[in-house]
Amino acid sequence: MTATTAARARRVTGGRHRAVHPRRARDSYALFLLPGALAFLAVVVVPFLMNAGVSLTEWHGVGSPEWTGLANYRALLDDTEFRESFRHSLFMVVAMAALPTALGLVLAAALFDHVGKHFGSRTAAVLRACFYLPQVLPVAVAGIVWSWILAPDDGSLNEFLRVVGLGSWRQDWLGDPDLALYSVMGVMVWVQLGFPLVVFMAGLERVDPQLYEAAELDGAGWWRRFVHITLPQIRPEIYVVLTWCTIAALKVFGAVYVLTKGGPGGATNVPSYFSFTTFFEKTQVGYGAAVSTVLTVIILALSLVGLRLQTRAEDAEEGPRP
Amino acid sequence: MLTARRRVRTRRGTACAATAVACSLLLASCGGSDGGSADSRTLRLWHYEAPNSAMGAAWTEAIKEFEARHPGVRVKFEEKSFDQIQKTAPMVLNSSDAPDLMEYNKGNATAGLLSRQGLLTDLSAEVTERGWDKLLSPGVQTTSRYDANGVMGSGKWYGVPNYAEYTMVYFNKDLFAKYGLAEPKTSDALVAAMDTFVDKGITPLANSGAEYPAQQYVYQLALSKADRPWVDAYELYQGRTDFHDAAWTYAAKTFADWVKKGYLGKNAVSAKAEDAGVSFLQGKAPILFSGSWWYGRFQDEATFDWGTTLWPGSTLSPGSGGNLWVVPESSGNKELAYDFIDITLSKKIQNLLGNKGGVPVAADAAALTDPKSKELITQFNTLSGRDGLAFYPDWPVPGFYDVLVSETQKLLTGSVRPDDYLDALQEAYDKGVPKT
Repeated sequence: MTATTAARARRVTGGRHRAVHPRRARDSYALFLLPGALAFLAVVVVPFLMNAGVSLTEWHGVGSPEWTGLANYRALLDDTEFRESFRHSLFMVVAMAALPTALGLVLAAALFDHVGKHFGSRTAAVLRACFYLPQVLPVAVAGIVWSWILAPDDGSLNEFLRVVGLGSWRQDWLGDPDLALYSVMGVMVWVQLGFPLVVFMAGLERVDPQLYEAAELDGAGWWRRFVHITLPQIRPEIYVVLTWCTIAALKVFGAVYVLTKGGPGGATNVPSYFSFTTFFEKTQVGYGAAVSTVLTVIILALSLVGLRLQTRAEDAEEGPRP
Repeated sequence: MLTARRRVRTRRGTACAATAVACSLLLASCGGSDGGSADSRTLRLWHYEAPNSAMGAAWTEAIKEFEARHPGVRVKFEEKSFDQIQKTAPMVLNSSDAPDLMEYNKGNATAGLLSRQGLLTDLSAEVTERGWDKLLSPGVQTTSRYDANGVMGSGKWYGVPNYAEYTMVYFNKDLFAKYGLAEPKTSDALVAAMDTFVDKGITPLANSGAEYPAQQYVYQLALSKADRPWVDAYELYQGRTDFHDAAWTYAAKTFADWVKKGYLGKNAVSAKAEDAGVSFLQGKAPILFSGSWWYGRFQDEATFDWGTTLWPGSTLSPGSGGNLWVVPESSGNKELAYDFIDITLSKKIQNLLGNKGGVPVAADAAALTDPKSKELITQFNTLSGRDGLAFYPDWPVPGFYDVLVSETQKLLTGSVRPDDYLDALQEAYDKGVPKT
């Protein structure tokens, strides 16, 4: 009995020790987070606060800034160019988040269900890599290649249309103010598509095949399986992709810079390019900082919403906690 | 217990050391790597001329000459891009990384702004002592001097140009001959030639809407109806600039009209300046109105006979002294920098510049052997001699270049009327003109 009690006591003590140790361990591990936290503070928080401070001044980048309070933000409200750039951002969200997510879902399911099953997983992997290739290309390279493809006179697209007898469809894809934004959107769909595709295919790997088998036995076709099994099962991946791509769309810069420089006549201007020209071309650093601050706040808010939705989806998937 | 405390202390010590290392790494990553500390045996020099351009070749030779004349002194040359220097110069010059001598863009929004902020050395005494002011014509000097508000044309010397530049009509002599056209010496002859080319299905004017060429067509059209006070009002704020005056109205309406008539192709809206030059080089467009910076390249690469002429019917044309050598206020080797500028103004370097297709400002006319180069310089002397250098349309206010690009694109696509175009320019100009 004594020995048993002692053993129990040791277990209890041990248990107590274990109850204490995790807290200590947490404290110790917290120290390892410190360098990362300091780095975050130094390269994100402090510059952001400095940027917010600069946005309350009128400054040309050198000399002493002049305190103007919220004047830059008030001016932003009346700035049609700024509002237009945000309107274009919404188009970019469609091109870089909504369309690639939708297309990525369908393509991922098609590659997983049909190509993988009928042609082998290696063929599906090769096709997946092909779709992912634009993500690997530097945006400057992709932009220059696309500007050749979309060139008005001897661009490949116009040449192709001429060769196949659709010469009347030839356009100045990047020079027509009514078309330029859609052309840039098209390029961005091509650039973005690979990312959701890869994430969704990874997500599909973890879906229990028995669910599909059961559905098939019940007579569900591909579309019903897609809607009722695939979509709900990979909802967390969808939230991740949508959040990630929306943020990328809001801060898109490189493609616009290389393809159109915001033109023609501001038809493809976006907030980050607007901020860039305000900073460096117009040397209105305070005003440019206000644009950046607004953009950062919007991106931050959207990220938080995205993360919240993602957490909810994960919680729902895990079910109620005991 | 002691051991445990020591262990805790050791753990804390390790954490502190890790934190300190992380902080020092962070600080190191934030700082510059190659500080600009003064070393009297090194001249740190930045410029952005391509090695195969006339200026690039001349400055390379100047570096050799400088090192020969200053035994033991090394020139540490860093090639930068125009954009790099244009966008980062204020920050670089405000730091310890500034070079001793730098090539920089001229104008109120660039060199003028930096001079106003006290980032550039006042070269006035050196200019007089070394006689540089005697070498540069008044038109070329305009962009070297800035007043207390950073407005060019008067005040102290903050930069020295070693070359000049101007715009001209480049024309494809072979294509002109093929269609029986004479050299466009008058504006009527130019318009008649353009009509002929349009009739033959050729867009006569090489153009680029995404960069400077399109706005320079508009500005040249305005200049053809303007005079020196008009330019001074626009560029130097010596009077009010009204974008609805006769000159600007003529320019906007004529430009829009030329688009309608097919003299300027709508397909050039998204084209870059390089595309315009290449379309001339490829013989697709028979006429290009642009700057002397193309001259050397056309000499090298054109496979057809070509000629140049100043814009017919206009005494004024865009042009100015070239980019400036500026000495940052923080330079530790100002004397060496002055010596280098002096060498670039020497006959040897200036003659080399001239024979390579550049426009020297102090060359020996007899030493220029290449006939094309002679033609280039003779034309410059004609323009400069009649006080015809009218600077560039984007100079007056910061950010005006982008406004001009954007608005001229709209004019090219026909999405705005000339009046609306001029309204937009007026608004941007008025917003940017310094309040005195």
